[in-house]
Amino acid sequence: MANIISASHLTLGYSNNDADIIKNANFKIKKGDFVFITGPSGSGKSTLLRSFYGQLKPKSGNLLVGAQDMNKISKKKLQELRTYFGIIFQDYKLINEWSVAKNVVLPLIIAGYNADVQETQAKRLLKHVKLSEHADRLPLELSGGEQQRIGVARALAKNPTLILADEPTGNLDEYSSNVIWDLMENANEQLDATVVVVTHRIPNIFSIPYRHLIIENKGIYEVH
Amino acid sequence: MKYIKEHIMFIFPMLAILLGIESFIVFDRMSANYEQGLKEDYSMLVLADTPVTLPEFKQLDRRISSIDTIEKHSIVKEMAQGMNGISAEDIMQSLPHFYTIHLGSFLDSQEIEQIKGVLLASKAIKKVETFGKSHNSSYNLFIFIRVVLWTFVGFMTFTSLFLVIKQMEIWQFAHKERMQVMEIFGASTMLRSGILFKRAIIDAVIATLLTSGLFAFLRFVWIKQSHIDLLMQREALLFAYKDIAILGGIAMLIVVTAVMMVVIGSKESKL
Repeated sequence: MANIISASHLTLGYSNNDADIIKNANFKIKKGDFVFITGPSGSGKSTLLRSFYGQLKPKSGNLLVGAQDMNKISKKKLQELRTYFGIIFQDYKLINEWSVAKNVVLPLIIAGYNADVQETQAKRLLKHVKLSEHADRLPLELSGGEQQRIGVARALAKNPTLILADEPTGNLDEYSSNVIWDLMENANEQLDATVVVVTHRIPNIFSIPYRHLIIENKGIYEVH
Repeated sequence: MKYIKEHIMFIFPMLAILLGIESFIVFDRMSANYEQGLKEDYSMLVLADTPVTLPEFKQLDRRISSIDTIEKHSIVKEMAQGMNGISAEDIMQSLPHFYTIHLGSFLDSQEIEQIKGVLLASKAIKKVETFGKSHNSSYNLFIFIRVVLWTFVGFMTFTSLFLVIKQMEIWQFAHKERMQVMEIFGASTMLRSGILFKRAIIDAVIATLLTSGLFAFLRFVWIKQSHIDLLMQREALLFAYKDIAILGGIAMLIVVTAVMMVVIGSKESKL
């Protein structure tokens, strides 16, 4: 399998003057992998994830995402690269003035799909996350668990190559968390999407094989 | 309600700016018209020993646009009838040539004195009368009105721009997260700011139409009902159709600048 993310001697930090958050890390994530990245609070899990979608450039070392060198990627290429991603945030990051259905098809709007395709896809995705009856409501009218399901549906809208999830169940109860994990397992198995999840804790019940990377003392290590 | 309020909060300052600008345009047209009137009314009187032609006057000073030769034959003829032994021809020959000189632009008294000096330096010209005092007072009044209006329009535009910027800050706050989320998912700048552009352009069009409508009303309705001759004679100065294009262009420039400020201010940060 081809590498979808490849890091060598990767060092991350918010500015050259600040201390390094990740230092000299080496790892590879292959296409189709389901990867959990864990570590204590403040260890740099979210920072690492941000570097994957280009919000943070490496301080030093190399980071390849797809075929793109994240050190040198142009604004235009980054924009294009991001359309292959599905990103899930802990605080959902939904557009609160848009309806649930419109939020779900955001990646299709960005890709320029017409209204008919958007409508069909919105129905399919909302059915998939069991929120069909909420299509016309606003996100803030829904519970946290429901909002995160919208976030997952949005991430799946364009059959992404890579799903990046930042603490997707961090604010959810056990039931809602299990629903989210099921959806992500399905995405990995059925869509063959590579999934990278940053989390405090790996769920107890997880039915598919996964890899576990742990961040410790600024380094990244694989747990076997 | 919130949607309407957001529109009104942008349309009002835009309206104030456009009203200021249209007032300035109207005043500019009126002042050009007034200047033309002053220029046409103003003339210098020149007495010359020998006939002087327009090209010769122009050679002396290029600002001279036309001349009128003052016809003296009929007056001299009347004078000669009351005088025994002196013919009209004798009087005509002893009299100098009189010219009224018109200028190509509206000049201040210093420039007029300069022209007077140039004319008097010519051997043929004996005397020049400039009527400098009345000309200067008209000119000063004209300048005073212009400065007062510019100050007013400048103040109004500055205050309104401040309100537009304040409204932009509110928009920036309201749209920042949406634009950042869209950017994370790979949306282009145009797509991210499309909603803002659409909204701002609608507001700009409304403000342009309201301003143009007001001045069109003044020109086509109010002036006719006012029965003020001075205004009725100059109604065309109050509104021209090209003003709609000028106001629309300025309004678009303001909204594009304002929206770009919001877009730049909403650049992706740590989400």
